[in-house]
Amino acid sequence: MMSSKNFAIQCKGLSAGYDFKVLDEVNFSVAEGSLTAIVGPNGAGKSTLLKVLCGLLLPLAGELFVLGQPIKTNRDRLWVKREIAYLAQVQAPGKLPITVFDSVLLGRWGRYFSGIKMPSKTDRERVEEVLRLVGMEHLKDRDLRTLSGGQRQRAALARALVRDPQIMLMDEPTTYLDARAQAELINLIQILHQRLGITTIVVTHQLEKNWDFTSRWVIEEGKLNLC
Amino acid sequence: MLMPLQIDWLSPLEIPIIRHAFFGLVLAGGMISLLGVIIITFNLSVIRFTLMHVGLLGAAVTMGLGLNPTTGAFILIMAVSVLMGSLGERINLSINAISGFFMTGSMGLAFIVLSRYQVRAMDIFGIFAGNILFLSKFDLILVALLGVLIVGIFFFFYREIQLVLLDKELATTLGVPVGRIRMLLFLLLGASMAISLRLVGALLVDSLILLPAMAALPLAKGLNSALVLTSIFGILSTSTGFLVALRYDLPVGASVAVVGCFFLMVSLVFQRRKVK
Repeated sequence: MMSSKNFAIQCKGLSAGYDFKVLDEVNFSVAEGSLTAIVGPNGAGKSTLLKVLCGLLLPLAGELFVLGQPIKTNRDRLWVKREIAYLAQVQAPGKLPITVFDSVLLGRWGRYFSGIKMPSKTDRERVEEVLRLVGMEHLKDRDLRTLSGGQRQRAALARALVRDPQIMLMDEPTTYLDARAQAELINLIQILHQRLGITTIVVTHQLEKNWDFTSRWVIEEGKLNLC
Repeated sequence: MLMPLQIDWLSPLEIPIIRHAFFGLVLAGGMISLLGVIIITFNLSVIRFTLMHVGLLGAAVTMGLGLNPTTGAFILIMAVSVLMGSLGERINLSINAISGFFMTGSMGLAFIVLSRYQVRAMDIFGIFAGNILFLSKFDLILVALLGVLIVGIFFFFYREIQLVLLDKELATTLGVPVGRIRMLLFLLLGASMAISLRLVGALLVDSLILLPAMAALPLAKGLNSALVLTSIFGILSTSTGFLVALRYDLPVGASVAVVGCFFLMVSLVFQRRKVK
């Protein structure tokens, strides 16, 4: 039997929510190095689960283990934020002028630099490496505002990877992308998963056919079931 | 027709009042204008408009009481900045709705106060148009301190501000204290609006805070270059505007606004060339 140390994430009877419970006594585990899907309709509790796993929300009851560590206090939550990387839906271009390189560099904030501690040469070299990994080294000096949705999402993936995370959480990563960009991104995520072995959890309301998950969980009305 | 006064361009700067006004305006153009980058990238245009109206109410109340209008504007703007910053977090209302409440409420109250205390029309015009020549040495120090504070905050929290402006949700998941940074920016914005009211008046605050950033952002490649360009445009538009106003005997605020618009036009032409 696997102990909590063999799991990247383990929830035992976990309840979470705000003034009311959204997740109700959830039992859920993700093996280290796996590519896991959590599928469910809107309002099923996906966002709340993500907030708990990201360290943005403490459980109301039950136990949560991340990389074998119990998460109980605000200090534990801060530790989780350092270990986990997060990839959201593709964002609108925004108005901030920023190069692809600088936007990826920001992914290392809080783990390698912050405040008056400036990014080091190692940080910059790591950004170059990750940009090569996602095939964006030729776009590193481009203004992020001028990229297509698919390119911006690849830059966001690089921003998540550059943190050297042990776990990657992806919230509907292919939403708002066209079919071609969706297929390219899914392919890239799966290649990187095989090559780097980072535990990856993809939360989505609809599974595209190109995915090849290790395990799939269905979330409905605050309950999670393996399928 | 505009006829130049028979004076050297720089000789009026030998007079202390004019020198204070010039340096106050140029300092504000070079440093306070940096907040324009935040206003535009963070979509805070409605807030700055609201704070302007709140400033009018503060000025109206203190004028009614026979006190210095800048003090009233400053106190009320700072109080509402804090209130709006925390209300946006606590209650689930959009910043536009909160702004609408404060903006219309302040304007209504300001007119009631002005009418009740029968404030003279010229004094009311003074709030709208500002009067930079009344800038004291103390005011000048205040502008310099605020400018240094703004530059310091950009220097020490550059990456954090960049993260919040890039993606608030991502910044939160990485552990950036988004709420505290937002409140800090609101406070700086409030203080800057209050000081700018004094310098160029309510109608032309944008020429000091917004126009330099609007001209800089289309040309900038990163936040760093946006800040540097904003500062350059701010210094150029305030100094040129001031000297032109002196030379041709024009209102300073209006002159700065027209020069600021000229730089914005030049920037947009350059941007079009870049796109082509």
